[in-house]
Amino acid sequence: MDLYAALQITWWLLLGVLLIGLATMVGMDMGVGTILRYVGRTDLQRRVALNTIGPHWDGNQVWFVLGGGAVFAAFPLIYATAFSGFYVVMLLLLWSMIMRPLGFEYRSKMSSRAWRETWDWALFVSGFVPMVVFGAAFGNLFLGAPFHFEWNLTSVYTGSFLSLLNPFAILCGLLSVSLSAFMGASMLMLRAEGAIHQRARTLARGASILAVVLFAIGGVWVRSLRGFVLTAAPAPGTAQTPLQQSVDVASGAWLHNFIGHPLLWLVPVLGFAGMLGGHLAATRGRSLWAWWLGATAWAGVIGTAGVALFPFLLPSSAVPAQSLTVWNASSSQMTLSWMLGFALVFVPLIIWYTSWAFYVMRGTVRGEHVASDEHAY
Amino acid sequence: MHDLNVVDLSRLQFALTALYHYLFVPLTLGLSMLLAAMETVYVVTRKPIYRQMTQFWGKLFLINFALGVATGLTMEFEFGTNWSFYSSFVGDIFGAPLAIEGLMAFFMESTFVGLMAFGWERLRPGQHLAVTYLVALGSNLSALWILVANAFMQSPVGAHFNPATMRMELSSLPALIFNHDAQAKFVHTSIAGFVTAAIFVTGVSAFYLLRKRHVDLARRSFRMAALFGVLATIGVITLGDALGFVGAQAQPTKLAAMEALWTTEKAPMPFNLVAFPSQSEQTNHGTLQVPYALSLLVTHSLDGSVPGVDQLEKDAVRRIHDGIPAVTALKTLSANPSDATALQQFKAHEKDLGYGFLLERYAPDVTQATPAQVNQAARDTIPAVAPVFWSFRVMVAMGLAMLAFFVMAVIYTMRNNVQDKRWFLKLAVWMIPVPFLANEAGWLVAELGRQPWTVYEMLPTWMSASTHSLGYMIFSITGFVLLYTVFIVVEMYLMVRAIRTGPGTSPGFGEDARLNPAPEA
Amino acid sequence: MKTFLLFLLYMVLAVLVILMAILLGNSGAWYFAWLVGTTMIVLIAAAGASLLDTQDEHAAQGATHGDSP
Repeated sequence: MDLYAALQITWWLLLGVLLIGLATMVGMDMGVGTILRYVGRTDLQRRVALNTIGPHWDGNQVWFVLGGGAVFAAFPLIYATAFSGFYVVMLLLLWSMIMRPLGFEYRSKMSSRAWRETWDWALFVSGFVPMVVFGAAFGNLFLGAPFHFEWNLTSVYTGSFLSLLNPFAILCGLLSVSLSAFMGASMLMLRAEGAIHQRARTLARGASILAVVLFAIGGVWVRSLRGFVLTAAPAPGTAQTPLQQSVDVASGAWLHNFIGHPLLWLVPVLGFAGMLGGHLAATRGRSLWAWWLGATAWAGVIGTAGVALFPFLLPSSAVPAQSLTVWNASSSQMTLSWMLGFALVFVPLIIWYTSWAFYVMRGTVRGEHVASDEHAY
Repeated sequence: MHDLNVVDLSRLQFALTALYHYLFVPLTLGLSMLLAAMETVYVVTRKPIYRQMTQFWGKLFLINFALGVATGLTMEFEFGTNWSFYSSFVGDIFGAPLAIEGLMAFFMESTFVGLMAFGWERLRPGQHLAVTYLVALGSNLSALWILVANAFMQSPVGAHFNPATMRMELSSLPALIFNHDAQAKFVHTSIAGFVTAAIFVTGVSAFYLLRKRHVDLARRSFRMAALFGVLATIGVITLGDALGFVGAQAQPTKLAAMEALWTTEKAPMPFNLVAFPSQSEQTNHGTLQVPYALSLLVTHSLDGSVPGVDQLEKDAVRRIHDGIPAVTALKTLSANPSDATALQQFKAHEKDLGYGFLLERYAPDVTQATPAQVNQAARDTIPAVAPVFWSFRVMVAMGLAMLAFFVMAVIYTMRNNVQDKRWFLKLAVWMIPVPFLANEAGWLVAELGRQPWTVYEMLPTWMSASTHSLGYMIFSITGFVLLYTVFIVVEMYLMVRAIRTGPGTSPGFGEDARLNPAPEA
Repeated sequence: MKTFLLFLLYMVLAVLVILMAILLGNSGAWYFAWLVGTTMIVLIAAAGASLLDTQDEHAAQGATHGDSP
């Protein structure tokens, strides 16, 4: 395997790492938003819940920005085709997400009940909707999207917005919401006490079981989905466009990678283990364990999707031969090399100072602290 | 093919969202640095007033910051959602600085901003100061990488077209980073942010001094911001000149539009102080000129000359003709990447490919283009002159006004009698909108002046947009206008309220006791 | 020992600054100017505030001095 192909694989893996980081960190904050109105019955309880992630949501959100930036830099064709093709969904995602910074920053700046209620709903929407879209996007990768390219690679999308909200995508969206609610709940268990802690625990137990069920249904469903198989294409690691390959579509083909390499079954097993382990940890009140097992579940779920689809990234249901793969959608060797260098230097640095920030702000968030701290949300 | 109405609406939407985002960014860039300066004084002298200052301005900083972050997300989405061909065509180059921005700058800024707001009681003063500096550095580094990306659109260096992948690819990252346009533009933009923050702080401080409230805090803030502002304004104007000098070489059509130069004149060229340009007649009405000034400004010599519109259109016609074989060869290569003759033909005409694309707008089959269509495409290479010309003059006039304001402010504050000059304090309050308008005008000059290209001389704007339906665009523009209007009303309201409440207590702080009557049983 | 370690740390920092200045001064003169200029602007603004404190103290001293016969 030559260097370019190795870099393409590396970036495919790194993209997976970034998506797992995104799902874990942003998903946690969004989970808190989703369950905010359930765990927090009084205004003070909601403020406590918000302040558990108050110092971190902004940093966590950068995982999302970085995920987008990495797709743009490493797989520009995916970024261009997916963002424009899923236009309406992307806008709903964006509009719900841009309410979030304001929800955190502005909510507690006024004492009017209507004001705070409005922002609480905004925080719910900005937690729930993006996680549905995130999961549904993965679901649609399995089904393929109706796009094709003109001679100069102008992408043309021929489907409607509603076709993106098909049953399989909604299933994936709900899986994503339940994992995010689980992460949010385990963070609240970790950093809050009393009634909030109790309700978060109940919720974490339910969410993990729901996730197990949804993930299992998804697994069975995939067997009957039409999968894509690359039958002829320029070799990996050669400069190419998506106009030069042929692709077959066959029922159950998304399981070919697992059948060919049985070791890969460990990836979905990891997902199930994370969810079930998370359930146990939540039941026993081991909040930190629950959080890390939730992150493991995310790694297993996203890994499963990646492994099943490989080498496809965004299959085309309109013209399967123009499907986007790791080999035809990636950046040039030079860009991938530079970006790898930057990632190797900065990702460890980011993890280090993010951990330090969590360390500085460690400990339980209490109502009396929030009420007496003028910097609190 | 592209619906040209959709292209125009995509441009409108991008301009609206970018201009809106850009209302908040400069204040973040400058105020973070000013906060670091204030906290430095606190850590060195340990006088509580400086801690109070840092916390008070920090509160205003965060109200502004939240909207900057929120609307910044839009910008990252829009390249993909609305400019998909652009994104795939130059993503290999353009995506890199954006991703590096996330890795190097945005993560740092956003992680530490949480500690800056919440860490006062948990960090030692020195640690907190370091955190504040990291926020300031992070926000300015963010600006650096964004402007490196933007500079590529203005002056595409360090890249080449690869026919095997049908897109532009990176040749040299250092060339991209040290692009002269990126350097001058980063310093100009970052320091313009400093000026914005300085005007904001002097204005709000003046508001307190006029009402004799929080006088200790206001006098100190005014002093710091005035010194900060006068030096920054000098920097902005210097870099504005540098940017003009760089731009004169890299983007002659932008310069011609900025100066409304319809005909090429011999050196030394006069500067059009006032003019009413007419695009259709290609001439100016009612001009007021300063002799020699243009040669001095843009070439830094009396015998320098720059081409006018007449010359530039002639060059464009020649390059469009040269671009035709480039486009036809590329079409052949798209179907058959190993066609050696086509590849040879493409290499010979590669540098004018963008001009060929420009012609495709009027002649989808470029080989059948009529001379009229070629002329039409050539006329397109000149941006809309009047808005660029006037935005530029508005920006410069405001810059000079702010310089005069700050010089006066420094005189008064150093004599320590600014609190007695009520007329000047009133002026300071009225100055608050000026830098924001100047920033927006600067954006308009840079980006309207870049037209008709998204990547100068490489990729025309009309090709860059996503192939959406008109309905989608109306839906999204409506959504943005509604959401953004609500946001700005809320933000302005909270900002004004926080300013009226003043330092000491947070707005709303302590008032929510009635919302939390009794702990849950 | 602690002083020596601090000395080493600052020496390393100084060398790094020199290296960066050489590299940046060559290919990125304006970036270098931004670093130097921003540092200067921040420090002058900070110094201005300290100066105000000193001016106030002098004024206060002058006032008490003037009051005494």
